[in-house]
Amino acid sequence: MLEIIKPGLETSIQDFPGRIGYWNQGFPPSGPMDSWSFRLGNILVGNDAGAPGLEAQFMGPTIKLQSDSVIAITGANMAPKLDGEEIPMWQSVAVKAGQTLIMGPALKGARGYLAVAGGIDAPSWLGSASTFHKASVGGLDGNAIKAGQVLPVKAGKGQAGQGQPGRRVKEACRPQFASDKKWQIEAVAGPNDDWIDAAGHAQFLATEWKLEARSDRTGYRLDGPDWTFTEKATNKPPENGEFPSNIVDQGYPLGAINLCGQKPIILVNDGPSMGGFIVPYTVPSAAFWKLGQIKPNEFLCFNQVSVEEAQRLRIELDDMCTEASIES
Amino acid sequence: MIFDEPNFSPGGDRYITVEFGNELSLELNFMAQGLAGALEEAGTKGLVESAPCFASLLVHYEPRDISYGDMVSELRSLCASLGSTDEIELDSRLFTFETLYLDPWTKECIDDYREKINPDKEYDPDFVARLNGLEDRHQLVRVHSGSEYWVASLGFWPGLPFLQPLDPRAMITCPKYNPPRTWTPQGTVGMGGSASAIYPVATPGGYQLFGRTPVPIWDTGKRFDVFDGDIVLFRPGDRIKFQPVIREAYDDAERKIADGSYIYNIIEYQKFSVRNYKNWIDKLDRNERF
Repeated sequence: MLEIIKPGLETSIQDFPGRIGYWNQGFPPSGPMDSWSFRLGNILVGNDAGAPGLEAQFMGPTIKLQSDSVIAITGANMAPKLDGEEIPMWQSVAVKAGQTLIMGPALKGARGYLAVAGGIDAPSWLGSASTFHKASVGGLDGNAIKAGQVLPVKAGKGQAGQGQPGRRVKEACRPQFASDKKWQIEAVAGPNDDWIDAAGHAQFLATEWKLEARSDRTGYRLDGPDWTFTEKATNKPPENGEFPSNIVDQGYPLGAINLCGQKPIILVNDGPSMGGFIVPYTVPSAAFWKLGQIKPNEFLCFNQVSVEEAQRLRIELDDMCTEASIES
Repeated sequence: MIFDEPNFSPGGDRYITVEFGNELSLELNFMAQGLAGALEEAGTKGLVESAPCFASLLVHYEPRDISYGDMVSELRSLCASLGSTDEIELDSRLFTFETLYLDPWTKECIDDYREKINPDKEYDPDFVARLNGLEDRHQLVRVHSGSEYWVASLGFWPGLPFLQPLDPRAMITCPKYNPPRTWTPQGTVGMGGSASAIYPVATPGGYQLFGRTPVPIWDTGKRFDVFDGDIVLFRPGDRIKFQPVIREAYDDAERKIADGSYIYNIIEYQKFSVRNYKNWIDKLDRNERF
C-alpha cells in the first residue's frame, strides 16, 4: 500500500497500452506518455509490462510505504530518495514498511515512473486503470492522486524477478534523453500532407520547434513559423471551414501534428479523437516516449521517416521492453 | 464531392485514414459507417478499432500483425464489396429525449457570455432563427425538433455526439461562437455549422445553444443499465429524437433520473436502410419548414 503524503504535479495512475477500443466514442487511450520507461519499470519489479503504476510530471510525489515491497523508478531523473538516502534509478530496490520515498523535481526529462511489485490495484474503467482526469475517468476515483490517499497494491503473480531487488536495466536498453534541449522526433507524412506545399514541408523539417508551456497530456503546442499550403487548402467546399487548415471534421490519429489555424499541436495520449483541422504529419508510436520527456521551451526537430521505418522502430521498441533488457 | 475511389493515407505507424469525399453529406457518413461495419464483420487480423467521422473512417491497426500495404488492400476490397451506398443497412437504435427548448439554464449561460465576453452576442435561438430565415425562436424549436438526428460520429469530448438531421426540411446552419465559451451546462442541446450536439458534461464549447435535456448520456457511476457497462451512451449510427416538453415534464424526468427510476426511451428493432431513406427524401419538398 502506498500512502500519498504529497501528490506532486498531477501524478496519476496509468497502465499500458491504456483504454484501447473506444476511439469511436471519443475516448483517448491515456496511458504513460513514455511507455518505454514505464514498461521497463514494471519488468524490473516482475510485473507484466503494462501493469498499473504511477506517472509523475515535472515534480514527483512523496509516498509513505505501508508494507515491505520492491519498487523501481524509471523515466525522468527526479533524484529519488528513500528516508533521505538517494536510491538508484533503472533498478529494483527493496523497501520496508514505514519508509518514505521522495521523488523531487525532474532534473532531466519531464516524467518519472514508479513501479511497485504486483502493480497498483486500481479499478478497470473500460478495460484500463489509466487516468484520464480531464473527464474524471480511470485511476482510483477518476482523478490524479491526492494527498492522504492510500493506493492499494496487488499481490504478485510470481513472474520472473518478482520481489527481487538489484535487477537493473542494461545501459544500452535505457532511453537516452536529449542533452542539448533539442530532441530528434520521427514524423510520418500524412494523412493530409498534400495540403502543404513543397516550401511548407521543407520549412517544417528544417525548423527547430519550441514546445510551449501550455502543453499537457492532451496536446503539445509548438512555436514556429507559419505554414504554406497547396491549392487543396484554399479551393474547397465551404463546409471545410474558413481557414486554409480547416477540413471536414475527421478522425485524428494519436500523434497527429494537428494544424489548428497556423499552430501545430501534437495530439498525445489524452487528446481529442476528431476535429476540423488538417494533420500534415503524424508522430509514430516509437517516438512518443520522447514527447513524454520533453520540457516546455525545449526544441523538437522532426525527421521524416516512412511508414515501414516507423513500424520497424515500433517493433524494436516493443522488443526492448522485455526481460531481455534486464541484468542482475 | 464524393470521390470515385476512396483515398487512403497513413497516420503514423498504426493508423489509416480512408477519405470518401470532401463535403458534409450523410451519404459519405453512411459509407464510413458501412465500411466500419464490414471491417468488424470481416474480422481482419491486425484490426484494433475504427472510428467513423463525417466523410472518412480512421482505421487503427497493429503493425506487427498486418503491414500498411496489406491493410490498404483489405480496405480497398471491402469498399468494393460494399457496392452502392444504397445497399448499406445499419443497425440503428432510436433514442427519444425529453428536451426543454428555450430553457433558463442555457439562457443563463448565454447571458454570462454576454456579460463577460461579448455584450453584442444575440440570444442564440433568435440568432439561429434569423440566420435561417425562420419566423422566430418558436419556429426554430418546431424545425429543430421536427427531425430524427443521425449520430455521425462521437468526439471533441468522449461521448459527445455529432448529429445531422435526417429530414432535409430540418437542415439549418449557423456559425460557432468566436471566441468560444468557457462553460456550457451538462445536457445542453445546440448546434454549430450544420451539426447538432448534446454536451455530455459541463465543458467549454462553441455551439449556439437553445435547449437542454435532463437525460444523462454519460455515466461513470454505472447508475443506468442501458449503458451496458459503458460510460458513453451512443454509438455511431444511433438516432436521436428531441421531444419538446414543458418545464414540469423536464423536472419530473430530472427527479426520476436523480432517484434512478428513469426509464430510457430506446427503440432497438430497426435497421437503417440507405435505399429506403433516399427514396423517402426524394419525395420531400426540401423548401418546406415545419
